[in-house]
Amino acid sequence: MTRAALRLESVSCQFGSVVALQAVSLAIAPGEKVALVGPSGAGKSTLLSLLNGSMSPSQGSVQVLGKAINQLQGSRRRKLQRQVGTVYQQHQLIENLSVIHNVNAGHLGRWPLWKALWSLVWPQQVNAARQALAQLGIADKLYARTDRLSGGQQQRVALARVLVQDPKIVLADEPVASVDPARSHDMMALLSHLGKNRTLVVSLHDVVLAQTYCDRIIGLRQGRILFDLPSAQVSAEQLTALYDLEASDLEASNLEGNDLEADLKPSDLENSAV
Amino acid sequence: MKNFSTDVSKVSGEPLGNELPGNELSGNKPSGERSPQPFTSKANFKRLFVLFLWFLFTLWALRVSGTPELNWGGCASIYQFLSASFRPELSPAFLWVMAKAALATFAFAVCGTTLSLVIGLIFGVACSRLWWRIFLPGTVGQGIWMVLRGGLAVPRAIHELIWGLLLLNVLGLDPIVGVCAIAIPFGAITAKVFSEIIDETPAEPLNALVNSGVYPVTAFFYAQLPQALPNLISYGFYRFECSLRAAAVLGIIGAGGLGEQIFLSWQSLQYAEVWTGFYALILLNGLVDTWSAKLRRQMGFVSRMDIARRTNAQKRRAATERNRFFIWGSWLAIALSIPLCFAYLDLGWARIGRSPPFLIDLASQVTPDRVLSALSFSLVPLALQTVAMSVLAINLAGIGGVLFSFPAAQNFFLPGGLLQSVGTASRWGGGHLVLLLSRLILLAARAIPAPILALIIVFGMYPGVWPGALALAIHNFGILGRLMAEVNENLPDRPLRALRSLGASGSGIVFYGILPANFARFLAYILYRWEVCLRETVIVGLVGVGGLGRLMTEQLSSFDYSGLAATLLVFIGLTIIVDTISAQMRSAVR
Amino acid sequence: MTHSRRYRRRSLLLSFCSFALLSSIGWSCGVTQEQGTQAQSPQEQAADATASTQTLTVGAIPDQDPEKLQRLYGILSEYLSEELGVSVTYQPVTDYAAAVTAFKVGDLDLVWFGALTGVQARIQVPDAEAIAQRDIDAEFHSIFIASTTSNIAPITDPTELVELKGKTITFGSESSTSGRLMPQYFLAESGVELSDFDREPGFSGSHDATIKLVEAGTYDIGAINEQVWLDRLAAGAVDESKVQAIWETPAYYNYHWVVNSEAVNEKFGEGFTQEIQSALLKLDKNDPDQAAILDLFGADKFIETENENYAQIEAVGREIGKIQ
Repeated sequence: MTRAALRLESVSCQFGSVVALQAVSLAIAPGEKVALVGPSGAGKSTLLSLLNGSMSPSQGSVQVLGKAINQLQGSRRRKLQRQVGTVYQQHQLIENLSVIHNVNAGHLGRWPLWKALWSLVWPQQVNAARQALAQLGIADKLYARTDRLSGGQQQRVALARVLVQDPKIVLADEPVASVDPARSHDMMALLSHLGKNRTLVVSLHDVVLAQTYCDRIIGLRQGRILFDLPSAQVSAEQLTALYDLEASDLEASNLEGNDLEADLKPSDLENSAV
Repeated sequence: MKNFSTDVSKVSGEPLGNELPGNELSGNKPSGERSPQPFTSKANFKRLFVLFLWFLFTLWALRVSGTPELNWGGCASIYQFLSASFRPELSPAFLWVMAKAALATFAFAVCGTTLSLVIGLIFGVACSRLWWRIFLPGTVGQGIWMVLRGGLAVPRAIHELIWGLLLLNVLGLDPIVGVCAIAIPFGAITAKVFSEIIDETPAEPLNALVNSGVYPVTAFFYAQLPQALPNLISYGFYRFECSLRAAAVLGIIGAGGLGEQIFLSWQSLQYAEVWTGFYALILLNGLVDTWSAKLRRQMGFVSRMDIARRTNAQKRRAATERNRFFIWGSWLAIALSIPLCFAYLDLGWARIGRSPPFLIDLASQVTPDRVLSALSFSLVPLALQTVAMSVLAINLAGIGGVLFSFPAAQNFFLPGGLLQSVGTASRWGGGHLVLLLSRLILLAARAIPAPILALIIVFGMYPGVWPGALALAIHNFGILGRLMAEVNENLPDRPLRALRSLGASGSGIVFYGILPANFARFLAYILYRWEVCLRETVIVGLVGVGGLGRLMTEQLSSFDYSGLAATLLVFIGLTIIVDTISAQMRSAVR
Repeated sequence: MTHSRRYRRRSLLLSFCSFALLSSIGWSCGVTQEQGTQAQSPQEQAADATASTQTLTVGAIPDQDPEKLQRLYGILSEYLSEELGVSVTYQPVTDYAAAVTAFKVGDLDLVWFGALTGVQARIQVPDAEAIAQRDIDAEFHSIFIASTTSNIAPITDPTELVELKGKTITFGSESSTSGRLMPQYFLAESGVELSDFDREPGFSGSHDATIKLVEAGTYDIGAINEQVWLDRLAAGAVDESKVQAIWETPAYYNYHWVVNSEAVNEKFGEGFTQEIQSALLKLDKNDPDQAAILDLFGADKFIETENENYAQIEAVGREIGKIQ
């Protein structure tokens, strides 16, 4: 078996009494493009947070590039985190700085403090930043103030930051949530371009987009994996079950991991039709 | 490092104890989104309770201070003094002296502000909760944070004037005393505000960087500080205005500048010269306040105190070519004036180097047993008088400030203003006169140092708590009136115009539209100034009943440092209590 | 690429500003140092005793119109400079306690102190010496004044001071000998404590302000320097229908010159203290230039004095708490 880029072993995640993830196990191979789909609150964001190390699981282990990220400390942990780039739903840019500084933030993991501070006064590696922005089609915004850009442009800046960071793994949390349909295709195209030669994990609501741009789709519901299939094999029934609002907790908790298609009950389908 | 992001995000949502009422009240919303709450809510009960409590406080203060007694015999002296206002000393030689004094006051303010901002930035970072969470997570960091934060309360509690007198003992006769006397307490205040700004700035971008493997300290300086910077700058301008007033007060202990000239002229009863000094101070303060207000507006800071309000990109006015010229010209002027002012004052930095023996000498005179023996119950009535004076002063200042905030706001009486009927559109009319006059009164009230006001008032009043309270009231009225006028100007006018179009009268608009919307803000400003007022009681203590401040100057002139340490301990304790009460009340009226 | 152009301009400006700031800090430090070695500001001398030129710094407590002080000490400095052959500068001070402090930290070498501040200064600087005083200072008096509206009759015997109980009183400066210390002492001698007065005593800050406040009736009684009172009466600056003198205190030693012996002897050579003393005592009212100085001091001549003359003042100071 080849070494997985990302591996979760019976991971559970709890916030107080709320269970965000329950006994999730999965492995993602290097170079794979994976979409996480599922209703709001299914645990997609939690899963991504575990993968970039911003959260630790209550139980189980998370391995990034073969290392248990939550057991590392200090510089070794940071070195690993540098290999994971994240595109956030809210972009998380430093809004009152120029675009170039936000793009250069991708270098920060490699730069010493003095260089980072000097770059704020005298921007460093301008060409790398310009190239990254050019790939995303906003090269002319290099020196614009970030908070004067449109939402879509800001998202491209966030992508450019990840591009400059040059990680092995790219995570994207609902990148098309607040974008109109035409733009969402652009965005997904950019993301899969970004994910070329990289592992890509992206959480989405739109299954069509997932099927178009990803090799594999993982369906999450109430903290469990409902299905985990190559894009082409995901069926309409599975999707209906995934987004079925009426399915009770009890029924959901009876579902076990990847075997769920066998356990689908007719009643679920009927309810969804109502 | 575990659960890093959840820890940090907790910080940004938490309201902290505050130097600035504005940010507590505004939260992240512009004030317009808050509608007055109905009278049944719990919040309103709390608000009424606070008002009731304050009312009791005031009654108690009135009891302590007795009724104000006017001295009609002093009318002649006061008339003599006032009539000199029409014939200020204008001989070229004296004007030259005044011009140099004004320059010195300005230079003191510039140097004091610069140093206090440097101190404030360093300690602001060191006192922010966020810094310790990322630099040294865990209980040790938390402990250091608490010690630092608490330690800031000490330099803040001591008034600039007392700092000046203390530093004189260590640094000798040199302008550096005046600059340090401003820089130390203002540095501590600035540090507190800066740390709050840093903690209230959203930390998500920082978290994003940290989670991509960036060293947290790098992420702090790269992501958190730049985001907080506009608010820090805006607050810096406000500090500059305060420094200018402090520089004038420090003249009284001989730091130089306009304050000193006025005080000297007063001592030799040269009223005409005193008035020239007043006019110079008013002019200087007026110029600086106007410039600072214009710059802040053009740079897109809505109000000086609204630091936590997230700057809204859409709201920023597109900078026109002229604005940009003004902004860059201002920055250039700042960049040039800082070195020039330092050079002009010719500070004896070497004195800091040779201060340790004096400091050790001073410290050796303060022993715990002597300090303890100086702590006695006789300090209690003095402490109560001090509090009573501050309560009286802030009541008067608050009422006056609210009243003047309407005529002094641009959006009320001017043509097209809220209290003007639509149609009356003369270019220059009574509205302008009212605006100008009320602003001038406020400016004069805050520009003239409170100790000088107290010296004048005591001619017309018998000694007691009242003359001091009145002097503080007038000074703070000038400051509050301006702050409140700004609040009024930032009021969204649509609901008011709706009232107007309903046919409501001017007073109807004030009571149904403006006061309900701004009341909490006004109250918060008043409570905030109350804390400042308590510190300022020290400087009016020379006339009649002075409470602890009077005792402090007596101890300083007797070189009784142990006694002084004891009095300072009581005063610091008092300041912390009043700060806490004020913070509690402010959070209740929010 | 307008953005980039503007940005570059911004960066340039920023770096220019930071450069200006840094260089100016360096410059202002440089300026201080230069002045230290060339013009010899007093603070540098204390640290640098080997420099070739030294300045004697003269100061005075601010008990009078500062303009008059400036004039007075201007010509006195010239005289001393000529007599002693060293450069002399006058350093004005605005606060009594500040004068003592400045003497302590070595910013002032020779100071015209009041009795109390002189004692305070000598306690802070053990080697300091009282060297001269005016003829009038050996027998100085304070005057109690009262507003006519308070209906206080002139006092002929100290025992009558008890009649002042229940009135309001204002002193001058807190550290003034004639405007605070000795009046308070003589009151206490006659059994009148400060707590016997109505309200707390005021501190007007200066003798002139005390006269004005009593004239206005804000306070019933005021305690002032005899010399100032006689001076203002002569100048017609007092409304005698509103304020009158009610009592003159017994005599006591007051103003005197105090020199920081150790510092000046170190700077100008042993025996310099005596040189200063003889220069002061030599002032002659028959010489028109020197007469101007004596006239401004309100004296006929300066006479010798010594630390022991102020033992009584020190005792009083300790009793009242002005000396720790």
